Amino acid sequence: MSVIKISNLTKIYNKTQVPVHAVNGINLTFEEGEFVAIVGPSGCGKTTFMNMIGGLEEPTSGSVEINETNISALTSNQRINFRLQNIGFIFQSYNLIPVLTSKENVAFIMQLQNKPKNEIEERTTQLLQSVGLGNKINSKPNQMSGGEQQRVAVARALASKPKFVLADEPTANLDSKATTQLLDIMKKLNEEENMTFIFTTHDQRVVDKARRIITLEDGKVISDQIIS
Amino acid sequence: MSMLFKIAWRNIWRSKLRSVVVIFAIAFGLVGGLGASAWMNGMAKQRVKNSFDYQIANIQLHNPNFALNLDVKKTIDSVNQKIAAIKKMNGIKAVTKRLKVSGMASTANKNLGVTIIGVNPKSEREVFSLYKTIDSVSGNFFETETKNGIVISKALAKKLKVKLHSKIVLTFQDFNGELTGAAYKIIGLFKTSDSNWDKSNVFVRNNNFRKVLGVPANEYHEIDITLNDYKQAPIISKIIQQKFPKVLSEDWAQIDPYTSLLNNVMGVMMGVFMMIILAALGFGIVNTMLMVILERTKEIGMLMAIGLNKKKLFIVIMLETIFLSLVGAIVGELISMLLIRYFGVVGIDLSSMQQGLESVGYSAITYPTLEFIRYIQITIMVIITGILASIYPALKALKLNPAEAIRTV
Repeated sequence: MSVIKISNLTKIYNKTQVPVHAVNGINLTFEEGEFVAIVGPSGCGKTTFMNMIGGLEEPTSGSVEINETNISALTSNQRINFRLQNIGFIFQSYNLIPVLTSKENVAFIMQLQNKPKNEIEERTTQLLQSVGLGNKINSKPNQMSGGEQQRVAVARALASKPKFVLADEPTANLDSKATTQLLDIMKKLNEEENMTFIFTTHDQRVVDKARRIITLEDGKVISDQIIS
Repeated sequence: MSMLFKIAWRNIWRSKLRSVVVIFAIAFGLVGGLGASAWMNGMAKQRVKNSFDYQIANIQLHNPNFALNLDVKKTIDSVNQKIAAIKKMNGIKAVTKRLKVSGMASTANKNLGVTIIGVNPKSEREVFSLYKTIDSVSGNFFETETKNGIVISKALAKKLKVKLHSKIVLTFQDFNGELTGAAYKIIGLFKTSDSNWDKSNVFVRNNNFRKVLGVPANEYHEIDITLNDYKQAPIISKIIQQKFPKVLSEDWAQIDPYTSLLNNVMGVMMGVFMMIILAALGFGIVNTMLMVILERTKEIGMLMAIGLNKKKLFIVIMLETIFLSLVGAIVGELISMLLIRYFGVVGIDLSSMQQGLESVGYSAITYPTLEFIRYIQITIMVIITGILASIYPALKALKLNPAEAIRTV
């Protein structure tokens, strides 16, 4: 079943005198449980494409349907709530809430969803243990390494039990050991929870783990490769 | 919701120096505002208290035509019966009766116009505290049976160039319209904080004065009533008026509108004063919160991206602003409380301005005071300021585009 259906997705920036076609008529579908890498040179439109899938940016034309909901048609507040219930985000620079501990960062999402206290407690502990941070539950982001922070970000992205996770350059700020650890965790969660992961990357090690590789150039899909 | 409170509270301490600067700006603003309010309040309270204790009591009864020109013939009759009836009423602390005429106080050096007040010393002491202002070397308030004794103020004595035990002559119109007079010996010198009032009032015994004045027995010019709670004066005055329709019953606010004004306006003045201070502080808070929003653009973008809706984002920013303001308010109120309590005991001495202050009825030493309710009111005002100050920065935050905000360095 298609989790995401992208139809003729286009984004044109008119901020300069010459309009920039960041994304140019992309048609794609993503299935449940996929582990997808979106690759391409800088400026090819990867981040814009991801932002539109995540409902962070509105397309100039075309649509993104997630579980048959056209997110482009939602209001700004509806999109926020839709993201809360359906999409997990992992950012390049971790973007944890600095004043909260790792446990609180993970629990925060579920609190926004008004989940019961015991469920929050249970899932937070389980997620932090599954990303290997069972001993860091009370550490704040500034007390953890980059790799550890990104693992908390993964746990946070999965906390809401989203339909899929969007990760924009998740390993860009990590050393090779942390990258390997993170990829192993993402892969494990993908397999265990049948969670769809879509990530942009320049990192060949990440690409090597992907089961589907989509290459963008000048805002267009130039290849869509399934790795068997 | 608890997590939003946690984030807002912890956010305050992310930039400790900036928060401490804002907190102390609020705190010192409030210390200034509350201190000045307590000082003004103390001055006003003392002025009102002095007015009750020395000059007008809480309720006065007169012949309705007496106040026009202190006409000696406009008396209240059956005063003893009226006083007996009044004393039986609820809320009455003490009652006294007075004879009161305009006259002239003369010495070999000077003549001055005064109000001559004939008093019953025992009941006078129950209603008024003038006797307390006579120090041990300045005689007493009719404690001894001195024939034709008179109590005047130190200020009047200085003006008339007389001292304790000196003689002065009082001239006045008697009940039959004849000009009459008598010589009196000064047996006491009082001093209140209202030098103008001091200079224009002298006190003699009712029994001696009545003989010279020729006022019929059981008739007086004034009945003075003090209450257990002065705030009950308007109600009790109305009841007395209904009971004795032929006399004019006035509460202290009607007798002395200036005192009433002080009592009523002080709260409003303090409120306006604090609002001005808080408005100024509010702009400082807005500025700080705008800085916070600017610094946390990326974080706000991330929060919106992961699912913090606009309402909750607004709440976080508003809570942070309120917490920041509230901490400043608590620090400021605690410092103010200590200072007001300290100066409330030792007083603020403005002896260098004594003459000027006393000429308008204020004491040279002021004891600042502030009712506890004022602190609660200020806390509420600070919370409102926090809410108002958060609106503009919060709206700025809500306008952020999450995708652009996340890209911010």
